[in-house]
Amino acid sequence: MSADLEFENLVKLYYRDLYQFGVSLTGNETDAADLTQETFYIWANKGHQLQKSASVKSWLFTTLHREFLKSRRRQNRFPNQSLNEGTEDLPNVPPDCAERVDSRTLLRILGEIGEDFRAPLVLYYMEDLSYKEIADILSLPLGTVQSRIARAKIQLLRRLSETSLPLEQTK
Amino acid sequence: MNTREAKEILLLYRGPIDDSDLQFRAALDYAKSDPELGQWLREQTECYDTIRAKLRAIEPAPGLSEKIVRNRPIPFPRDWSRIAQLAAAVLISVGITALLMKWSEHRHSSVADAQEILVTGEVLDMTCYIASNLSGPDHAKCARICIRNGLPAGIKTRDGKVYLLTGEPGHSVNAELADYAAQIVTIKGRQTVRDGFTQLQVEEIRKL
Repeated sequence: MSADLEFENLVKLYYRDLYQFGVSLTGNETDAADLTQETFYIWANKGHQLQKSASVKSWLFTTLHREFLKSRRRQNRFPNQSLNEGTEDLPNVPPDCAERVDSRTLLRILGEIGEDFRAPLVLYYMEDLSYKEIADILSLPLGTVQSRIARAKIQLLRRLSETSLPLEQTK
Repeated sequence: MNTREAKEILLLYRGPIDDSDLQFRAALDYAKSDPELGQWLREQTECYDTIRAKLRAIEPAPGLSEKIVRNRPIPFPRDWSRIAQLAAAVLISVGITALLMKWSEHRHSSVADAQEILVTGEVLDMTCYIASNLSGPDHAKCARICIRNGLPAGIKTRDGKVYLLTGEPGHSVNAELADYAAQIVTIKGRQTVRDGFTQLQVEEIRKL
Protein backbone atom coordinates (compact mmCIF):
# COMPACT_ATOMS: atom_id res chain seq x y z
CA MET A 1 0.00 0.00 0.00
CA SER A 2 1.39 3.41 -0.90
CA ALA A 3 2.26 5.83 1.87
CA ASP A 4 -0.40 8.28 0.65
CA LEU A 5 -3.14 5.68 0.72
CA GLU A 6 -1.99 4.42 4.08
CA PHE A 7 -2.18 7.95 5.46
CA GLU A 8 -5.64 8.52 4.02
CA ASN A 9 -6.92 5.30 5.54
CA LEU A 10 -5.48 6.22 8.89
CA VAL A 11 -7.18 9.62 8.77
CA LYS A 12 -10.52 8.04 7.85
CA LEU A 13 -10.18 5.56 10.65
CA TYR A 14 -9.31 7.91 13.50
CA TYR A 15 -10.02 11.53 12.66
CA ARG A 16 -13.53 11.46 14.08
CA ASP A 17 -12.40 9.89 17.39
CA LEU A 18 -9.54 12.34 17.68
CA TYR A 19 -11.76 15.28 16.88
CA GLN A 20 -14.26 14.20 19.53
CA PHE A 21 -11.46 13.82 22.05
CA GLY A 22 -10.16 17.25 21.04
CA VAL A 23 -13.50 18.98 21.26
CA SER A 24 -14.14 17.42 24.66
CA LEU A 25 -10.81 18.71 25.90
CA THR A 26 -11.02 22.17 24.43
CA GLY A 27 -14.76 22.74 24.25
CA ASN A 28 -14.08 24.48 20.98
CA GLU A 29 -14.65 23.08 17.50
CA THR A 30 -11.95 25.12 15.80
CA ASP A 31 -9.34 24.21 18.39
CA ALA A 32 -10.38 20.56 18.13
CA ALA A 33 -10.01 20.61 14.34
CA ASP A 34 -6.59 22.25 14.69
CA LEU A 35 -5.48 19.67 17.22
CA THR A 36 -6.68 16.84 14.99
CA GLN A 37 -4.84 18.25 12.01
CA GLU A 38 -1.71 18.84 14.04
CA THR A 39 -1.81 15.27 15.32
CA PHE A 40 -1.92 13.81 11.83
CA TYR A 41 0.74 16.25 10.68
CA ILE A 42 3.03 14.96 13.41
CA TRP A 43 2.11 11.42 12.45
CA ALA A 44 3.11 12.09 8.84
CA ASN A 45 6.51 13.26 10.02
CA LYS A 46 7.22 10.88 12.86
CA GLY A 47 4.72 8.06 12.67
CA HIS A 48 7.13 5.79 10.83
CA GLN A 49 9.18 5.63 14.03
CA LEU A 50 6.39 3.65 15.67
CA GLN A 51 7.27 -0.02 15.58
CA LYS A 52 3.98 -1.66 16.55
CA SER A 53 1.05 -0.81 14.31
CA ALA A 54 -1.33 -1.97 17.04
CA SER A 55 -0.46 1.05 19.14
CA VAL A 56 -1.21 3.62 16.44
CA LYS A 57 -4.44 4.68 18.10
CA SER A 58 -2.77 5.18 21.47
CA TRP A 59 0.03 7.10 19.78
CA LEU A 60 -2.44 9.43 18.09
CA PHE A 61 -4.39 10.07 21.28
CA THR A 62 -1.20 10.62 23.25
CA THR A 63 0.02 13.07 20.65
CA LEU A 64 -3.23 15.00 20.56
CA HIS A 65 -3.29 15.24 24.33
CA ARG A 66 0.32 16.39 24.41
CA GLU A 67 -0.40 19.05 21.81
CA PHE A 68 -3.42 20.14 23.81
CA LEU A 69 -1.30 20.55 26.94
CA LYS A 70 1.31 22.47 24.93
CA SER A 71 -1.27 24.85 23.55
CA ARG A 72 -2.67 25.38 27.02
CA ARG A 73 0.76 26.14 28.41
CA ARG A 74 1.24 28.66 25.62
CA GLN A 75 -2.07 30.30 26.30
CA ASN A 76 -1.64 30.04 30.05
CA ARG A 77 -5.18 31.08 30.57
CA PHE A 78 -6.70 27.90 31.89
CA PRO A 79 -4.94 27.09 35.13
CA ASN A 80 -5.40 23.55 36.29
CA GLN A 81 -8.24 23.13 38.68
CA SER A 82 -8.31 20.64 41.46
CA LEU A 83 -11.41 18.78 42.35
CA ASN A 84 -12.43 19.19 45.91
CA GLU A 85 -15.03 16.50 45.74
CA GLY A 86 -14.04 13.32 47.42
CA THR A 87 -15.86 10.09 47.08
CA GLU A 88 -17.69 10.64 50.33
CA ASP A 89 -20.95 11.51 48.67
CA LEU A 90 -21.54 9.42 45.63
CA PRO A 91 -24.31 11.16 43.76
CA ASN A 92 -27.60 9.48 43.14
CA VAL A 93 -28.10 10.40 39.55
CA PRO A 94 -31.47 9.93 37.97
CA PRO A 95 -31.18 7.82 34.81
CA ASP A 96 -32.50 10.60 32.61
CA CYS A 97 -30.03 13.18 33.89
CA ALA A 98 -27.87 13.08 30.81
CA GLU A 99 -30.91 12.95 28.54
CA ARG A 100 -31.78 16.49 29.52
CA VAL A 101 -28.63 18.02 28.10
CA ASP A 102 -27.39 18.16 24.57
CA SER A 103 -23.82 17.62 23.44
CA ARG A 104 -23.02 21.32 23.57
CA THR A 105 -24.12 21.62 27.19
CA LEU A 106 -22.24 18.48 28.00
CA LEU A 107 -19.10 19.97 26.49
CA ARG A 108 -19.60 23.13 28.52
CA ILE A 109 -19.87 21.12 31.71
CA LEU A 110 -16.80 19.11 30.78
CA GLY A 111 -14.97 22.37 30.21
CA GLU A 112 -15.62 23.32 33.81
CA ILE A 113 -13.71 20.29 34.99
CA GLY A 114 -9.98 20.73 35.50
CA GLU A 115 -7.81 19.69 32.59
CA ASP A 116 -5.95 17.04 34.56
CA PHE A 117 -9.26 15.35 35.25
CA ARG A 118 -11.02 16.09 31.98
CA ALA A 119 -8.72 14.09 29.69
CA PRO A 120 -9.00 10.78 31.54
CA LEU A 121 -12.74 11.30 31.96
CA VAL A 122 -13.26 11.90 28.24
CA LEU A 123 -11.24 8.85 27.29
CA TYR A 124 -13.22 6.87 29.84
CA TYR A 125 -16.48 7.86 28.19
CA MET A 126 -15.63 8.01 24.54
CA GLU A 127 -13.18 5.31 23.73
CA ASP A 128 -13.24 1.61 24.32
CA LEU A 129 -9.97 1.78 26.13
CA SER A 130 -8.93 -0.16 29.19
CA TYR A 131 -7.75 1.84 32.18
CA LYS A 132 -4.22 0.69 31.43
CA GLU A 133 -4.48 2.07 27.90
CA ILE A 134 -5.83 5.38 29.20
CA ALA A 135 -2.93 5.53 31.67
CA ASP A 136 -0.46 4.86 28.86
CA ILE A 137 -1.96 7.54 26.62
CA LEU A 138 -1.79 10.14 29.37
CA SER A 139 1.52 8.88 30.74
CA LEU A 140 0.06 8.54 34.20
CA PRO A 141 0.10 5.73 36.77
CA LEU A 142 -2.93 3.47 36.61
CA GLY A 143 -4.05 4.37 40.14
CA THR A 144 -3.86 8.08 39.37
CA VAL A 145 -5.97 7.65 36.26
CA GLN A 146 -8.67 5.72 38.08
CA SER A 147 -8.71 8.17 40.93
CA ARG A 148 -9.01 11.13 38.56
CA ILE A 149 -11.78 9.48 36.56
CA ALA A 150 -13.73 8.70 39.69
CA ARG A 151 -13.47 12.23 41.07
CA ALA A 152 -14.17 13.85 37.72
CA LYS A 153 -17.16 11.61 37.13
CA ILE A 154 -18.67 12.55 40.48
CA GLN A 155 -18.30 16.20 39.60
CA LEU A 156 -19.79 15.68 36.16
CA LEU A 157 -22.78 13.79 37.51
CA ARG A 158 -23.39 16.44 40.15
CA ARG A 159 -23.38 19.18 37.56
CA LEU A 160 -25.61 17.17 35.29
CA SER A 161 -28.13 16.66 38.08
CA GLU A 162 -28.00 20.40 38.80
CA THR A 163 -28.71 21.18 35.17
CA SER A 164 -32.45 21.22 35.14
CA LEU A 165 -32.90 22.73 31.73
CA PRO A 166 -34.83 20.50 29.43
CA LEU A 167 -33.27 19.50 26.13
CA GLU A 168 -35.31 21.91 24.02
CA GLN A 169 -34.05 24.92 25.96
CA THR A 170 -30.38 24.02 25.77
CA LYS A 171 -30.24 23.97 22.00
CA MET B 1 -17.39 -5.50 51.35
CA ASN B 2 -20.33 -3.23 52.10
CA THR B 3 -22.61 -1.28 49.77
CA ARG B 4 -20.60 1.87 50.00
CA GLU B 5 -17.32 0.16 49.13
CA ALA B 6 -19.01 -1.63 46.23
CA LYS B 7 -20.36 1.70 44.95
CA GLU B 8 -16.93 3.28 45.04
CA ILE B 9 -15.57 0.46 42.93
CA LEU B 10 -18.54 0.28 40.57
CA LEU B 11 -18.48 4.02 39.97
CA LEU B 12 -15.88 3.24 37.29
CA TYR B 13 -17.73 0.27 35.85
CA ARG B 14 -18.85 0.94 32.29
CA GLY B 15 -20.61 -2.27 31.37
CA PRO B 16 -19.43 -5.12 29.13
CA ILE B 17 -16.17 -3.36 28.29
CA ASP B 18 -15.08 -3.76 31.94
CA ASP B 19 -16.42 -7.25 32.47
CA SER B 20 -13.01 -8.81 32.06
CA ASP B 21 -11.44 -6.38 34.53
CA LEU B 22 -10.91 -8.33 37.74
CA GLN B 23 -11.14 -5.27 39.97
CA PHE B 24 -14.92 -5.15 39.40
CA ARG B 25 -15.71 -8.83 39.88
CA ALA B 26 -16.30 -8.89 43.63
CA ALA B 27 -18.32 -5.66 43.57
CA LEU B 28 -20.48 -6.94 40.72
CA ASP B 29 -21.13 -10.12 42.63
CA TYR B 30 -22.07 -8.05 45.65
CA ALA B 31 -24.48 -5.97 43.55
CA LYS B 32 -26.35 -9.12 42.57
CA SER B 33 -27.20 -9.70 46.19
CA ASP B 34 -28.16 -6.10 46.92
CA PRO B 35 -31.22 -4.94 44.94
CA GLU B 36 -30.72 -1.29 45.83
CA LEU B 37 -27.10 -1.39 44.71
CA GLY B 38 -28.16 -3.28 41.61
CA GLN B 39 -30.61 -0.54 40.74
CA TRP B 40 -27.96 2.15 41.36
CA LEU B 41 -25.56 0.24 39.10
CA ARG B 42 -28.14 0.05 36.29
CA GLU B 43 -28.73 3.78 36.52
CA GLN B 44 -24.99 4.42 36.48
CA THR B 45 -24.40 2.33 33.39
CA GLU B 46 -27.42 3.82 31.62
CA CYS B 47 -26.12 7.28 32.40
CA TYR B 48 -22.69 6.23 31.15
CA ASP B 49 -24.19 5.00 27.88
CA THR B 50 -26.14 8.22 27.41
CA ILE B 51 -23.15 10.48 28.03
CA ARG B 52 -21.00 8.34 25.78
CA ALA B 53 -23.60 8.45 23.00
CA LYS B 54 -23.87 12.24 23.23
CA LEU B 55 -20.11 12.69 23.07
CA ARG B 56 -19.80 10.19 20.25
CA ALA B 57 -22.52 12.03 18.34
CA ILE B 58 -20.35 15.11 17.96
CA GLU B 59 -19.52 15.45 14.29
CA PRO B 60 -16.41 17.09 12.94
CA ALA B 61 -16.82 19.96 10.55
CA PRO B 62 -17.46 18.76 6.99
CA GLY B 63 -14.30 18.34 4.97
CA LEU B 64 -11.97 17.97 7.91
CA SER B 65 -10.55 14.62 6.81
CA GLU B 66 -9.98 15.91 3.27
CA LYS B 67 -8.27 18.98 4.68
CA ILE B 68 -5.98 16.83 6.80
CA VAL B 69 -5.03 14.68 3.82
CA ARG B 70 -4.58 17.72 1.60
CA ASN B 71 -2.29 19.46 4.11
CA ARG B 72 -0.21 16.41 4.72
CA PRO B 73 3.51 17.21 4.68
CA ILE B 74 5.62 15.62 1.99
CA PRO B 75 6.76 12.38 3.55
CA PHE B 76 10.41 12.02 4.28
CA PRO B 77 11.94 9.12 2.33
CA ARG B 78 12.25 6.09 4.52
CA ASP B 79 14.81 4.22 2.45
CA TRP B 80 17.46 3.91 5.13
CA SER B 81 20.09 2.48 2.78
CA ARG B 82 19.66 5.57 0.62
CA ILE B 83 19.85 7.81 3.67
CA ALA B 84 23.03 6.01 4.75
CA GLN B 85 24.51 6.50 1.28
CA LEU B 86 23.66 10.18 1.39
CA ALA B 87 25.15 10.54 4.86
CA ALA B 88 28.35 8.80 3.73
CA ALA B 89 28.55 11.05 0.66
CA VAL B 90 28.12 14.13 2.83
CA LEU B 91 30.78 12.95 5.26
CA ILE B 92 33.25 12.21 2.47
CA SER B 93 32.52 15.55 0.85
CA VAL B 94 33.03 17.39 4.12
CA GLY B 95 36.24 15.47 4.76
CA ILE B 96 37.66 16.26 1.33
CA THR B 97 36.69 19.91 1.64
CA ALA B 98 38.36 20.13 5.04
CA LEU B 99 41.54 18.54 3.69
CA LEU B 100 41.58 20.87 0.69
CA MET B 101 41.06 23.87 2.91
CA LYS B 102 43.85 22.74 5.19
CA TRP B 103 46.16 22.13 2.24
CA SER B 104 45.27 25.45 0.67
CA GLU B 105 45.80 27.26 3.93
CA HIS B 106 49.14 25.55 4.30
CA ARG B 107 50.08 26.29 0.72
CA HIS B 108 49.20 29.94 0.95
CA SER B 109 50.59 30.56 4.36
CA SER B 110 51.65 34.14 4.29
CA VAL B 111 55.25 35.17 4.42
CA ALA B 112 54.02 38.26 6.21
CA ASP B 113 53.53 36.01 9.20
CA ALA B 114 57.10 34.80 8.95
CA GLN B 115 59.77 35.72 11.38
CA GLU B 116 62.38 38.22 10.22
CA ILE B 117 65.91 36.99 10.95
CA LEU B 118 69.57 37.59 10.10
CA VAL B 119 71.51 34.65 8.74
CA THR B 120 75.24 34.62 8.19
CA GLY B 121 76.84 31.97 6.01
CA GLU B 122 78.08 30.86 2.60
CA VAL B 123 75.94 31.42 -0.50
CA LEU B 124 75.37 28.05 -2.15
CA ASP B 125 74.35 26.74 -5.49
CA MET B 126 71.77 24.33 -4.09
CA THR B 127 71.76 21.98 -7.05
CA CYS B 128 75.46 21.20 -6.90
CA TYR B 129 75.47 21.24 -3.11
CA ILE B 130 72.68 18.78 -2.64
CA ALA B 131 73.50 16.60 -5.61
CA SER B 132 77.29 16.54 -5.27
CA ASN B 133 78.06 18.22 -1.94
CA LEU B 134 80.01 20.94 -3.78
CA SER B 135 80.61 24.26 -2.06
CA GLY B 136 83.39 26.60 -0.98
CA PRO B 137 85.87 28.74 -2.96
CA ASP B 138 86.78 25.84 -5.25
CA HIS B 139 83.24 25.74 -6.52
CA ALA B 140 82.64 29.45 -6.63
CA LYS B 141 82.77 29.82 -10.41
CA CYS B 142 80.32 26.99 -11.04
CA ALA B 143 78.06 28.22 -8.30
CA ARG B 144 78.00 31.72 -9.73
CA ILE B 145 77.01 30.39 -13.16
CA CYS B 146 74.41 28.06 -11.81
CA ILE B 147 72.81 30.73 -9.65
CA ARG B 148 72.89 33.28 -12.40
CA ASN B 149 71.20 30.78 -14.69
CA GLY B 150 68.33 30.48 -12.29
CA LEU B 151 69.13 27.34 -10.32
CA PRO B 152 68.13 27.45 -6.65
CA ALA B 153 70.41 29.31 -4.31
CA GLY B 154 70.90 28.82 -0.60
CA ILE B 155 72.91 29.88 2.41
CA LYS B 156 74.70 27.58 4.81
CA THR B 157 75.47 28.82 8.31
CA ARG B 158 78.54 27.99 10.33
CA ASP B 159 76.59 25.43 12.31
CA GLY B 160 75.53 23.64 9.12
CA LYS B 161 71.96 24.83 8.73
CA VAL B 162 70.93 25.46 5.13
CA TYR B 163 68.23 27.91 3.98
CA LEU B 164 66.74 28.09 0.50
CA LEU B 165 66.98 31.69 -0.65
CA THR B 166 64.04 33.19 -2.53
CA GLY B 167 62.84 36.60 -3.55
CA GLU B 168 59.44 38.10 -3.19
CA PRO B 169 56.76 36.26 -5.16
CA GLY B 170 57.40 36.80 -8.88
CA HIS B 171 60.80 38.36 -8.30
CA SER B 172 64.06 36.39 -8.48
CA VAL B 173 67.06 37.39 -6.41
CA ASN B 174 69.41 35.06 -8.29
CA ALA B 175 71.12 37.94 -10.13
CA GLU B 176 72.07 39.62 -6.86
CA LEU B 177 73.05 36.38 -5.17
CA ALA B 178 75.21 35.21 -8.07
CA ASP B 179 77.75 37.92 -7.24
CA TYR B 180 78.15 36.45 -3.77
CA ALA B 181 78.38 32.80 -4.79
CA ALA B 182 80.57 30.83 -2.33
CA GLN B 183 81.16 33.99 -0.27
CA ILE B 184 80.22 34.62 3.36
CA VAL B 185 77.39 37.14 3.65
CA THR B 186 74.73 38.19 6.08
CA ILE B 187 71.19 38.11 4.74
CA LYS B 188 68.22 39.72 6.37
CA GLY B 189 65.00 38.01 5.43
CA ARG B 190 61.81 36.30 6.47
CA GLN B 191 62.01 32.70 7.49
CA THR B 192 59.29 30.17 6.72
CA VAL B 193 59.30 26.39 6.89
CA ARG B 194 57.35 24.11 4.60
CA ASP B 195 57.46 20.34 4.65
CA GLY B 196 60.75 20.41 6.43
CA PHE B 197 62.47 22.88 4.10
CA THR B 198 63.48 26.20 5.55
CA GLN B 199 63.15 29.17 3.26
CA LEU B 200 64.51 32.64 3.68
CA GLN B 201 62.90 35.36 1.61
CA VAL B 202 65.72 37.79 0.98
CA GLU B 203 65.24 41.43 1.92
CA GLU B 204 68.81 42.60 2.23
CA ILE B 205 72.31 41.18 1.54
CA ARG B 206 75.42 42.37 3.34
CA LYS B 207 78.88 41.26 2.47
CA LEU B 208 81.07 40.68 5.46
